[in-house]
Amino acid sequence: MTHTLLAALTSLANPMAPSGYIYPNEFELHWSLLIIVYPYLTGLVAGAFILASLERVFNVKALQPVYRLSLLTALAFMIIAPLPLLAHLGHPERCLEMFLTPHVASAMAMFGFVYAWYLSVVLLLEIWFDYRKDIVNWGNEKKGFMKYVYKALTLGATDISKKSLAFDEKIGRAITIIGIPSAFLLHGYVGFIFGSIKANPWWSSVLIPIVFIFSAIVSGIALMLIIYMVTSMFRWKHIDMKCLNKLAELLLYAMIIDFGLEFLDFIHRLYESEESIHILAEMISSRLFISLIISQILLGSLVPMVALVVARFGKFPSEMKRILYFIAALLVQVGIFSTRWNVVIGGQLFSKSLRGLTVYKVDLFGLEGVFMSILLLLAPLGVLYVLTKVLPPWDDTDPGAAQIQK
Amino acid sequence: MFRPLHQLVPLTIIFAIAVTAFVVGRMYLVPETFGEYGHYRADAVGEVASQEIAYAGYQVCYDCHDDIYDEKMESNHSGVSCEVCHGPAAAHTEAPDEVTPDIPHGRSDCVLCHGYNPSRPSGFPQILPELHNTGKPCMVCHNPHAPVLDHAPTECSACHRKISSQKMVSHHALLECSQCHTVAEGHRTNPASVRADKPESKDVCGSCHDKGAESSRGIPRVDVETHNARYLCWDCHYPHQPEVVR
Ligand code: HEC
Ligand code: HEC
Ligand code: HEC
Ligand code: HEC
Ligand code: HEC
Ligand code: HEC
Ligand code: HEC
Ligand code: HEC
Repeated sequence: MTHTLLAALTSLANPMAPSGYIYPNEFELHWSLLIIVYPYLTGLVAGAFILASLERVFNVKALQPVYRLSLLTALAFMIIAPLPLLAHLGHPERCLEMFLTPHVASAMAMFGFVYAWYLSVVLLLEIWFDYRKDIVNWGNEKKGFMKYVYKALTLGATDISKKSLAFDEKIGRAITIIGIPSAFLLHGYVGFIFGSIKANPWWSSVLIPIVFIFSAIVSGIALMLIIYMVTSMFRWKHIDMKCLNKLAELLLYAMIIDFGLEFLDFIHRLYESEESIHILAEMISSRLFISLIISQILLGSLVPMVALVVARFGKFPSEMKRILYFIAALLVQVGIFSTRWNVVIGGQLFSKSLRGLTVYKVDLFGLEGVFMSILLLLAPLGVLYVLTKVLPPWDDTDPGAAQIQK
Repeated sequence: MFRPLHQLVPLTIIFAIAVTAFVVGRMYLVPETFGEYGHYRADAVGEVASQEIAYAGYQVCYDCHDDIYDEKMESNHSGVSCEVCHGPAAAHTEAPDEVTPDIPHGRSDCVLCHGYNPSRPSGFPQILPELHNTGKPCMVCHNPHAPVLDHAPTECSACHRKISSQKMVSHHALLECSQCHTVAEGHRTNPASVRADKPESKDVCGSCHDKGAESSRGIPRVDVETHNARYLCWDCHYPHQPEVVR
């Protein structure tokens, strides 16, 4: 045996070996799949919530069928969102320290409070006020165990007189108005964490938080489009084409802004041409080619944008439109997941010496593996299922519910 | 009956309970000395300081092992501290007869630092453990306290490993290095000042490959006068792997 043979063999078995010069501690990546899943999930939370607030604050009436569904979706994803972080920590039980002795100079520490604020003040309150009347009614109508669940959920506030409901409506609006900047904060923060790492030229950019917010909106709207279509299908209900068209329209606009911002970021980097540009270019053309060029830009942005334009403004039977919308929304999810991948993994693939690239080998099993990630990505759907059973967001199951929305 | 703002009553109570629980919880859960000096538990300093000292530092070893100390200090391992290999030895320095430090005998102990790893600086002595004298403990040949061998290597491959392994699998596998290079004896002990020579004319290759050369019949022939006459043969054929045209 010889070195050349051995090298040839190892390079066959492992076509992507590190290249160039990397520091010893850069060989292995420390932020793995779970850290990709996390911003992906929070993005969906923020996106779904912002979609819901459009209906509420800006009175986009066409979106009414997905209003409550969006709120529940945001809540379901919000409950699961911190789990990938906890699973990633070596000592998850220490996460409480962040609340007990927070360091005010640490964005990550302060974020615990942003999260708590968003979950309890914004999401839970808004849902509670919105459902209060129904909860009171269900508490009176239902039998057995659920009766007591609803009774408890009313928290004793059982007055559903007109005036009282008008107050609910008002306060719900106020919460939504507070909620929009909170949603921006939630996901802007995730971008901020990356954008403020000045030693990393792939991350360090003031645009990143903004790009994150818009990509969150894109992913949230696309998710609601998918969930709305799938739930309608399983409930044997007609899909409200007005609502669907509106969703598609909003998705398209958000995508145009998102794509524009990312393009701006790209042009800006190219024009600045800092010393990192060579290694970043090499990284894009080798390691990130599939996930960035193919998956994020081509399949995840351009193709769905074209599909949306064609379906929304072309003359097609609505059956065809629905199929196109659905495919576009699925592709958008793939694209946004790739975006998260490219940010998290991309930032760790090149050496800080700017002279070499390492490789990311995905684990299959284990706490940070593929299966764990799939589990965490599916878990919010399970939570959502339970939530829709307890708090049905659909008008048709309870004709009275349609009234509050008017 | 309309009770103004009655929804807010339970909410306020719940929030009040949550905030109180948080504040009270903090009072109990935050360690007492937290924040005394900085953003950490001040007691931790004392706790760490009171831990038993495990490492003695290499200077101490000199008192009793001056021979090994001096030997190592003059070798390539001068920068590698004794306890890196022998493990924590503070207890040993206090009671040398009762506690003796580990002696690493495995190959993996050396490979930890010397195994090939792309992120190590080039020039750092690295070996491919699967290929470097497999099956024998390193100490058979290398003295860990003065690891460089005390005799000059006999094979060219000891120092020109990449070239020799390339040649080994090329069409030139059967050619000795000396077929093309004349190497003075001193080159193996002092390569930087005693240079080996390199072929300068095409005739070296022509002696085997020219149409009219007297060499074995299996050798592929070209007309050295006309085959890309304007260049040296090794502008295109890497001599140690000639089938690769560059
Ligand atoms: C006070 C004198 C003294 C000091 C200081 C000392 N040693 Fe020793 N060491 C001895 C003696 C004596 C022996 C022989 C013990 C035996 O053979 O039972 C020994 C043996 C050893 C052995 C061989 C153990 C064996 O199983 O054969 C190692 C390894 C060793 N010392 C390492 C160290 C290192 C490393 C240090 C510095 C951190 C050190 N010693 C400091 C006295 C000392
Ligand atoms: C690179 C790792 C390494 C370092 C550094 C090192 N040793 Fe050793 N040492 C060994 C190994 C391996 C052996 C066993 C040698 C053998 O089995 O032939 C050994 C053996 C010994 C022995 C017992 C055998 C003998 O040769 O007497 C003593 C004593 C010793 N070392 C002391 C020291 C001291 C003192 C230092 C620091 C000055 C030191 N060593 C540094 C690896 C190391
Ligand atoms: C803690 C890391 C470390 C360990 C463990 C270690 N070495 Fe070394 N070794 C070094 C360093 C550092 C050098 C000096 C490199 C230089 O000169 O640039 C070196 C140099 C050498 C050299 C000289 C190479 C040359 O020709 O320049 C040899 C041979 C060697 N070590 C063999 C060994 C053996 C055998 C062992 C196991 C007993 C061992 N080393 C364990 C760090 C280590
Ligand atoms: C059979 C004897 C033998 C054994 C066993 C052996 N080596 Fe070597 N080693 C040599 C010789 C001879 C050289 C000089 C260069 C050469 O011939 O390749 C050398 C060179 C080295 C070098 C310097 C390489 C360079 O590029 O400068 C290192 C490092 C080294 N050996 C480490 C080890 C380690 C680690 C082990 C155990 C895993 C080991 N050796 C086992 C004989 C041996
Ligand atoms: C002790 C290690 C060692 C051994 C053994 C050794 N060389 Fe070298 N050789 C070197 C080094 C180091 C250089 C680079 C010298 C420089 O560039 O300063 C070198 C350079 C050369 C060169 C290029 C000279 C030039 O001017 O570019 C040739 C040809 C060469 N060696 C051939 C051989 C041959 C053939 C053998 C076997 C007979 C051999 N060497 C054995 C260490 C060695
Ligand atoms: C077929 C003839 C031939 C044989 C056999 C040969 N060399 Fe060379 N070698 C050359 C030529 C020609 C050059 C000059 C190449 C150049 O300048 O680009 C050279 C260059 C070198 C150099 C300079 C560095 C480099 O890579 O260009 C080294 C070192 C060297 N040879 C070592 C060896 C060793 C060691 C062997 C035996 C394992 C060997 N050569 C066998 C023809 C040969
Ligand atoms: C001592 C005789 C000898 C010398 C000198 C020699 N070669 Fe060769 N060469 C051979 C042999 C033997 C073969 C292998 C023939 C075979 O594959 O059966 C060969 C094969 C080749 C091949 C053919 C590879 C192929 O694709 O089949 C090339 C090209 C080559 N040598 C170039 C050179 C160059 C350039 C030089 C001068 C630096 C040189 N040779 C010097 C003997 C020699
Ligand atoms: C300008 C580049 C160039 C130069 C200079 C050059 N060659 Fe070639 N040589 C080639 C190419 C290209 C081939 C064809 C390779 C092939 O067909 O695989 C070749 C083929 C050969 C072959 C293989 C012929 C066969 O039948 O397989 C030999 C032997 C050879 N060259 C020897 C030499 C020698 C000796 C010299 C110096 C006098 C030399 N070459 C100079 C480019 C070059």
